[in-house]
Amino acid sequence: MAFHYVVTAHKPTAVTSCVTGNFTSPNDLNLIVAKNSRLEIYLVTPEGLRPIKEVGLYGKVAVMKLYRPQQENKDYLFIVTMRYHAMILECVSDDDNLEIITKAHGNVADRIGKPSDTGIIAVIDPRARVIGLRLYDGLFKIIPLDKENSELKASSIRMDELQVTDVEFLHGCANPTIVLIHQDVNGRHVKTHEISLRDKEFVKIPWRQDNVETEASMIIPVPSPLCGAIIVGQESILYHDGMTSVAVAPPIIKQSTIICYAKVDPSGLRYLLGDMAGHLFMLFLDVETKGDGSDVVKDLKVELLGEISSPECITYLDNGVLYIGSRMGDSQLVKLNTKADDNGSYVTIMESFTNLAPIMDMCVVDLERQGQGQLVTCSGAYKEGSLRIIRNGIGIQEHASIDLPGIKGMWALTVASDGKHDNTLVLAFVGQTRVLSLNGEEVEETEIAGFTSDQQTFYCGNVRYEQIIQVTPVSARLVSAQNKTLVAEWKPPTEKNISVVASNSEQVVVSTGSDLYYIEIHQNELIMKGHTTLNVEIACLDISPLGNNATSSQLVAVGLWTDISACILKLPDLAEVYKENLGGEIIPRSVLMTTFENHTYLLCALGDGSMFYFSLHRESGVLTDKKKVTLGTQPTALRTFKSLSTTNVFACSDRPTVIYSSNHKLVFSNVNMKEVNHMCSLNAEAFPDSLALATDTSVTIGTIDEIQKLHIRTVALQESPRRIAYQEQSQTFGVVSVRMDIQDSTGLNPARPSASTMTQSVTVSSSVGSLSLGKSSVSGISGTNLTPEYGQEVEVHNLLIIDQHTFEVLHAHQLMQQEYAMSLISCQLGDDPNMYYIIGTAIVNPEESEPKQGRLLIFQWADNKLTPISEKEIKGACYSLAEFNGKLLASINSTVRLFEWTAEKELRLECSHFNNIITLYLKTKGDFVLVGDLMRSMTLLQYKTMEGSFEEIARDYNPNWMTGVEILDDDIFLGSENSFNIFVCQKDSAATADEERLQMQEVGQFHVGDMINVFRHGSLVMQNLGETSTPTTGCVLFGTVGGAIGLVTQISSEFFDFLLEVQNRMSSIIKSVGKIEHAHWRSFHTDIKTEPCKGFIDGDLIESFLDLSTDKMKEVVDGLQMIGDGSMRQECTVDDLIKMVEDLTRIH
Amino acid sequence: MSVAEFLKGLPSYNEDNFSKFHADSNARVSLKKPSVYIPTKDFPSEQVIVTEKTSILLRYLHQHWDKKGFQKKRDHISLDNADDCNQSRKRPRIDCVGTP
Repeated sequence: MAFHYVVTAHKPTAVTSCVTGNFTSPNDLNLIVAKNSRLEIYLVTPEGLRPIKEVGLYGKVAVMKLYRPQQENKDYLFIVTMRYHAMILECVSDDDNLEIITKAHGNVADRIGKPSDTGIIAVIDPRARVIGLRLYDGLFKIIPLDKENSELKASSIRMDELQVTDVEFLHGCANPTIVLIHQDVNGRHVKTHEISLRDKEFVKIPWRQDNVETEASMIIPVPSPLCGAIIVGQESILYHDGMTSVAVAPPIIKQSTIICYAKVDPSGLRYLLGDMAGHLFMLFLDVETKGDGSDVVKDLKVELLGEISSPECITYLDNGVLYIGSRMGDSQLVKLNTKADDNGSYVTIMESFTNLAPIMDMCVVDLERQGQGQLVTCSGAYKEGSLRIIRNGIGIQEHASIDLPGIKGMWALTVASDGKHDNTLVLAFVGQTRVLSLNGEEVEETEIAGFTSDQQTFYCGNVRYEQIIQVTPVSARLVSAQNKTLVAEWKPPTEKNISVVASNSEQVVVSTGSDLYYIEIHQNELIMKGHTTLNVEIACLDISPLGNNATSSQLVAVGLWTDISACILKLPDLAEVYKENLGGEIIPRSVLMTTFENHTYLLCALGDGSMFYFSLHRESGVLTDKKKVTLGTQPTALRTFKSLSTTNVFACSDRPTVIYSSNHKLVFSNVNMKEVNHMCSLNAEAFPDSLALATDTSVTIGTIDEIQKLHIRTVALQESPRRIAYQEQSQTFGVVSVRMDIQDSTGLNPARPSASTMTQSVTVSSSVGSLSLGKSSVSGISGTNLTPEYGQEVEVHNLLIIDQHTFEVLHAHQLMQQEYAMSLISCQLGDDPNMYYIIGTAIVNPEESEPKQGRLLIFQWADNKLTPISEKEIKGACYSLAEFNGKLLASINSTVRLFEWTAEKELRLECSHFNNIITLYLKTKGDFVLVGDLMRSMTLLQYKTMEGSFEEIARDYNPNWMTGVEILDDDIFLGSENSFNIFVCQKDSAATADEERLQMQEVGQFHVGDMINVFRHGSLVMQNLGETSTPTTGCVLFGTVGGAIGLVTQISSEFFDFLLEVQNRMSSIIKSVGKIEHAHWRSFHTDIKTEPCKGFIDGDLIESFLDLSTDKMKEVVDGLQMIGDGSMRQECTVDDLIKMVEDLTRIH
Repeated sequence: MSVAEFLKGLPSYNEDNFSKFHADSNARVSLKKPSVYIPTKDFPSEQVIVTEKTSILLRYLHQHWDKKGFQKKRDHISLDNADDCNQSRKRPRIDCVGTP
């Protein structure tokens, strides 16, 4: 059987809805943002948006509205989920504590009814008398908001209008009245309905306006005293209130489609409008006062304010600041200015919120070859299109930075103070030492009288008896920490300079070449207690005290030149007790003895960025359990620092790494900085518990995250990336991207500058290529006019070649007109040693139901040149490509085809498989091919080498509409489908009956709640370190339309049973906001069936264990049994479970 | 009217809001994340939303029956057939209860 653990590594980031109001208290101004199944609550403060809470729901938010209930002084939140759960939420807070109370909840689905094409619409009467829902065609559901009743009765009203585009409640009506835009054969019309709450019926039509604009799509209800509604269309805006009707058609709005609005004034005179292209407009109602004193709308004015992220929703916060929620790009906080800037824009971007959505494709690469994957995603669309580089690591929050090049060493000191905080930073440079004093946040250069400043400091630190030691090539100097004067100095007895030094608060070891001296620190005295001469020169030293409160060491660790070894010497006589030859030719550059979780280690970093680590026996000095790990590529320096009273080691190199221990295993975590040469802990008054980090050019003071998390870098393309492939040989990424060109009087021109137009080097597939010209009379292409209509937008597809280091677009190759790039891989073929980028395309003719033509294009990128190698015409769209045993596998319309690569560098069809509707996805493993079909789930094929043909091995006969497939192992296959579920199929090769063998069993199913576009094998954390701390095997990452990244991994049946028990306990202890059952949320749900979740553990729920209070943790583990050492069942303690869950969090 | 006039007098609920806003040094990309709300206290829901189970067609028929029923009954009474309502099995019970 197959058991899996599925967890979100990066939560969804696409904003689908945002609202503003007084939610957390009557005086708090809140912003609430919905991202898929999560709500983020912010408070508007003088400093900006302050995050308050993130609330997870067991449902994907379809509609979110904030409303003011009658007789309340704050707002309630009304939410409807995609699976028709409705809820009314209230926030109750006292100081720090905040509770979300579900005031009302229930399912508003009907058993029958056709779900509307325009989605779920929910509206609330301005006087909070009733909620209106349009869920199904021809029905309008009302929920009267009765306070007294314990039941809120939802009832449906028959609605004559079937195709409804938008619905709103009108203001200022005695009875609740809706206004709607609907469509019939004659066009679009606006109509109103007055609702009788008693009879639950539409009672009359106060007014209507037939034949409004054919693209009218949005209604803005206007508040009292004006009332009425604004109807927004593609080209015109109409105001109507039953009597007056004012329409305008400002040319500026025609460029794109307005999709969202925000009311600015409470009186409703000004509105902000956002269109798909990211234009922000202001709509102003010009009002005149009539003779009877009432105001009427005289005119509508629309002005362009500037450009924002392509908006999905907009809300006005305060003092001219808006929140722009985006699905396709980064969401933004923007400010409106009364004066235009140099570009004529009235909009300033204040803050951006990273959004990966929609993830169209992604690849996992290990650019630094460190065993840790990075994810590069094709994110966003249109002008928000970008590549995002996502990397796991520990973050440094930068608090201050000083430009200082050439730092060779750095130490924090406490000088002339009460000794609680560090107040001085000593910096070593070649041939000199500089001292900085930290005064609050001020940093100024100072001097310590007892120090030499014309020498490079090798070591410096506070030592016992309130003294400071400074070691330079010439001597070791002991200085009083209070009056900064020199009290003692030690010089090597020979002429040789000091080359390496190590110290703790009581002891110093110093070497001059191969001589090693041991000195003890006393009051006003440095006393040499030992000396030895080793065979070879000393490369590095360490004398760190071992154990919790130890202040001195019994052992010295030494790394040696020439014989490339690490030895342990005993103090005070410096006798060798253990020697370990490291092998190889790379010199050790840094040794460190340290204690993690009461276990002593010796770490030894080499000049090439690799590191050995050993268990060190504290008394005998014996080294055991030798292991090696690669941390970077440059010489690495190891330093300890404390974080939350645990010891950590910082490895300074070109790939800074933090080393710590968990469950008695060492964990290596990247740091989100490019390069760190030196570091020291710094606990200054203004910078408590900080680190000072020196790079080639500067010193950064910052704090370090407690846990590792994902860090995201953005490479803006400003056009839609669709497919990505990595080519290691040429150090490039190939990216298929789509740009919008507009036909104007001069021809087809790009709508705006973007990656494919801004690169230096561009090639074009001849639009009268061999294919379309030669075959045009047959294919029907000649029948279509190749010149689009004036003003029409045309998709132009490009292959971009992008440098893996700089992410610069090196080259763009434009495909033919009407040719869409559907798939892209980088691979080798046959015996040909060259690496190729291969694109599968489709010639899209709007008159054909499916493409009948396409091409396979083979390119080589070498010497900064893109060379077309071969081109093969195919009879359809190539949806997917894969390298398959040196051959090229392509899915073309309903077929799977295998092409050989001939010596003449041509593709020759070898064999095909036909038994699908549209073969969208291909994955391969050995001789097996997994096919994902548009609507016929997954099929497994085997390639018969002898026969040169495909055989259908097994098929899943469930009607799943696939969005992605992946092979987990030889028998287990993962699929995602378009109702936001994933499932696992297993083939049963051992079954005796043919029928059973040919049928895949669905052994796992789970509702993810987001559409998965892509699966990739790979991991975001370091792999192959010899210590896998979690009982998981394999890792498949997935990217979603909502911008989430998740992973699926296999677990053992015992571990599954254990986690299932934990999950069941957790689901009863964690109360669901909106009172949706966890089991219901995770059940496999499509239009045709709902089945319980099976074979999957919900990692998101399991991991929330770490956020529970201790009491609740105890409640979870109470009576819980686990498999302990020696397969014995034993009681699971809170600590056991914390450790297990922590390990699980570390796989992403 | 110019855009500048358009943008004059934007609503202000608390003039301090955003007054001390500082763009983060790291390229204005927000890193702030709210803490996750983990509800463990059980608050019973005051109200449950229930969907009316009767289909709209049945409700329509019932409502019309109500109106028609009275008319018919009056007809029946005029025909001096007072016990008729007890014999008609399809007539909703409320009708019978409603008769004096």
